[in-house]
Amino acid sequence: MKNLVVFSLLATLVFTGALTGCTTTVSVEGSIPTPLVRKIPANVGIYYDETFKTFQHTEALEAEGTWKIPLGDKNLMFFRNLMASLFDSVIELPNPQPGAEVAANIDAVIIPQIEKYGFLTPGLSGLKFFSASIHYRITMVDMAGNELADWTVVGYGKSEGGAFGGDSALGNATMLAIRDGGARISIGLTDQPEVAKWVERQGETDNEN
Amino acid sequence: MKTKVLVLVSAFVLSGCVTARVEEQRSSSTGIRTEEALVILGRASYNDRETEVSFTDCLADALSSGDAPVTLVDQDEFKDSLYPWFEPRTAPASSDELADLFQQPGVAEQIQQSNIRYLAWIDGDTITVDRGGSFSCTISTFGGGCFGMTYWEEDASYEASIWDLESLTTAGAISADANGTSYLAGLVVPVPILARPGNAACKALATQLRSFLTDA
Repeated sequence: MKNLVVFSLLATLVFTGALTGCTTTVSVEGSIPTPLVRKIPANVGIYYDETFKTFQHTEALEAEGTWKIPLGDKNLMFFRNLMASLFDSVIELPNPQPGAEVAANIDAVIIPQIEKYGFLTPGLSGLKFFSASIHYRITMVDMAGNELADWTVVGYGKSEGGAFGGDSALGNATMLAIRDGGARISIGLTDQPEVAKWVERQGETDNEN
Repeated sequence: MKTKVLVLVSAFVLSGCVTARVEEQRSSSTGIRTEEALVILGRASYNDRETEVSFTDCLADALSSGDAPVTLVDQDEFKDSLYPWFEPRTAPASSDELADLFQQPGVAEQIQQSNIRYLAWIDGDTITVDRGGSFSCTISTFGGGCFGMTYWEEDASYEASIWDLESLTTAGAISADANGTSYLAGLVVPVPILARPGNAACKALATQLRSFLTDA
């Protein structure tokens, strides 16, 4: 009987340890839609830094173990498609300051960055949803070095999650946050005052008329 | 024969009682041709509530089957084809905003190409309004069992706002409310008696929506 009690205690400890010490790696999956917006008549260079390309968020929660969310790949694919849809032509730059030859063929440089990623589980929020937010910073300069935009865009996403399948719900919420951020950028970029003037100079007014 | 009777009795006993109410408000005459389609979209907002995907899926299943199936366009496909205009924070909130949206390049063409005549926005959710009782299960090396009884009352409240994409107006609205109490009794084995107000609201809303779209 004593052995049984010791065994039960050990089993409980091992089980609890396994639950709190486990790592959940979230897979961020989803479609990459092409924005249905008017193209800006300009050729731009985009610089994606290594952090942006390989962004991964890791967070240890006391009661739920460690969550690992590698969203860099999907986010990069999304942005490549997004930017290609927003401008006449896009080239990817190896560094934020293009050489003279490249600079002669583009009208502006855009640098998107991920400043912050956060998420909430139902265990933390008390709601039945997983939610995620991504803080993007969009910097844009013209070829004369004038700042056109230094804009923070926050993408939100949330997805229903039950007791099981939390990883797919968080992956879905993250994908929705990427979509939301992309939607804000595609609709709101030309609302940035200096970008609007720059677009005007690029001949946007002629197109609208 | 005995087995059939047992199954029927079990189904009756294990299903909780649900009451449902449906109301319709029509603003214009409707009608849908066989080549025309409907898209069902769940309203999402960034507060603590959101129309469950399972509810819009249930509605889509109910409408696309039966004697007079309605042609449906998948909501994810619809959102992708019109990205970024139907995302939670960019979607039109009224049919007036829809008319503005149709001015955007490619939007009207995309909707015409998909033959979508109506858009049904589904707003609402199912919440637990009351719960109580006590229930526990025990397991040991000598066996186990569940004892006690617990209950929870759920309220499902949904509204479909139907927009006519041909006239760019609101054709009408249908609301469905259902309420039911589920029980879980522990008599060594757990015996659930489940009410499914969400499912009842879905079926009621689907029936009324089909009638709304097909009746002129």
